[in-house]
Amino acid sequence: MILCPDCSFENIEGSDECQECGQSLTTLHLAEAATDVERSLLDDRVGVLNPKLPVAVAPETPVGEVLQKLVAQSIGCVIVVENEELVGIFSERDALQKLNVDFAALREHPVSEYMTSDPQTLAADSKVAFAVQRMDLGSYRHVPIVDDQGRPVGIVSVRDILRYLADKMGAVEI
Amino acid sequence: MNFQLRLDAESVEHAFPSDSLTVDPHTTVREVFLLLKDSNAGHVLVGQTDQIQGIFTERDALKLMAGGADLQIPVADVMSRDPVTLHIDDTVGKAITSMSHGGYRRLPIVDGASTPRGALKASGILHYLVQHFPAVIYNLPPQPHHKTQEREGA
Repeated sequence: MILCPDCSFENIEGSDECQECGQSLTTLHLAEAATDVERSLLDDRVGVLNPKLPVAVAPETPVGEVLQKLVAQSIGCVIVVENEELVGIFSERDALQKLNVDFAALREHPVSEYMTSDPQTLAADSKVAFAVQRMDLGSYRHVPIVDDQGRPVGIVSVRDILRYLADKMGAVEI
Repeated sequence: MNFQLRLDAESVEHAFPSDSLTVDPHTTVREVFLLLKDSNAGHVLVGQTDQIQGIFTERDALKLMAGGADLQIPVADVMSRDPVTLHIDDTVGKAITSMSHGGYRRLPIVDGASTPRGALKASGILHYLVQHFPAVIYNLPPQPHHKTQEREGA
């Protein structure tokens, strides 16, 4: 039995591609995961990170209010949602880079002026390794998880990945 | 087939540490804000080039912004003092544990004489992981792209 790495369909031994989704299976033998950490990264899906529910604000929310929300709730970003649809993300990095020393003068401006529009997202069944690669490629610290209608259902942060790695290393002597 | 994570063996130097800006403790927070923006950085070390006294991160900046603070104060008043550091010989595994337990996203790296040697960021660890994965994992589509109705018979 060969498990498809993508859709987890059980293929018959010797299949070159997944009978369910067409994903090539011939490369599966390339990488033999040597440790539990490696295996977990390649097998686990982002659900195992227990992604938190993102804190959502409306586009017209004053940015000063958003700053207070970030501090009060000890979070690094909020998602910006309009009609249940994800339209942007605003992080502490945006706060420093875009508001900077002018924050007091800009605090009544809507968060939509400073958010990152149309952020990169992940499907709930994405592999952890895929999430890591997305974050690395785009230098993101947070990636929202959306359902098949594009509605945000969770958020994965770099902290979640670190905690996951620490847990997986567990009792490993370091 | 160079796919082997050596979290317990490779030093933090393999996880893409970044150079850190160092500012004098008397520098005003306003100057630090502008410096962080100009250099697109998320933290500065505070102290002298041979000794770290503290670290000031964008999280610290956020708290000041949310509270409407006066920025004409020395950064030494609001920095985190005596930050947790990594030694240059520490392993990537140790860095992951320290960051995860302390909730840090960046840790200064020091050498034997406590001289700062840059900082390790969580993003460096992610990049390290990505470099060690086989490329194949990234070619996986996030969604299966097509479904076949039934197996072909022979």
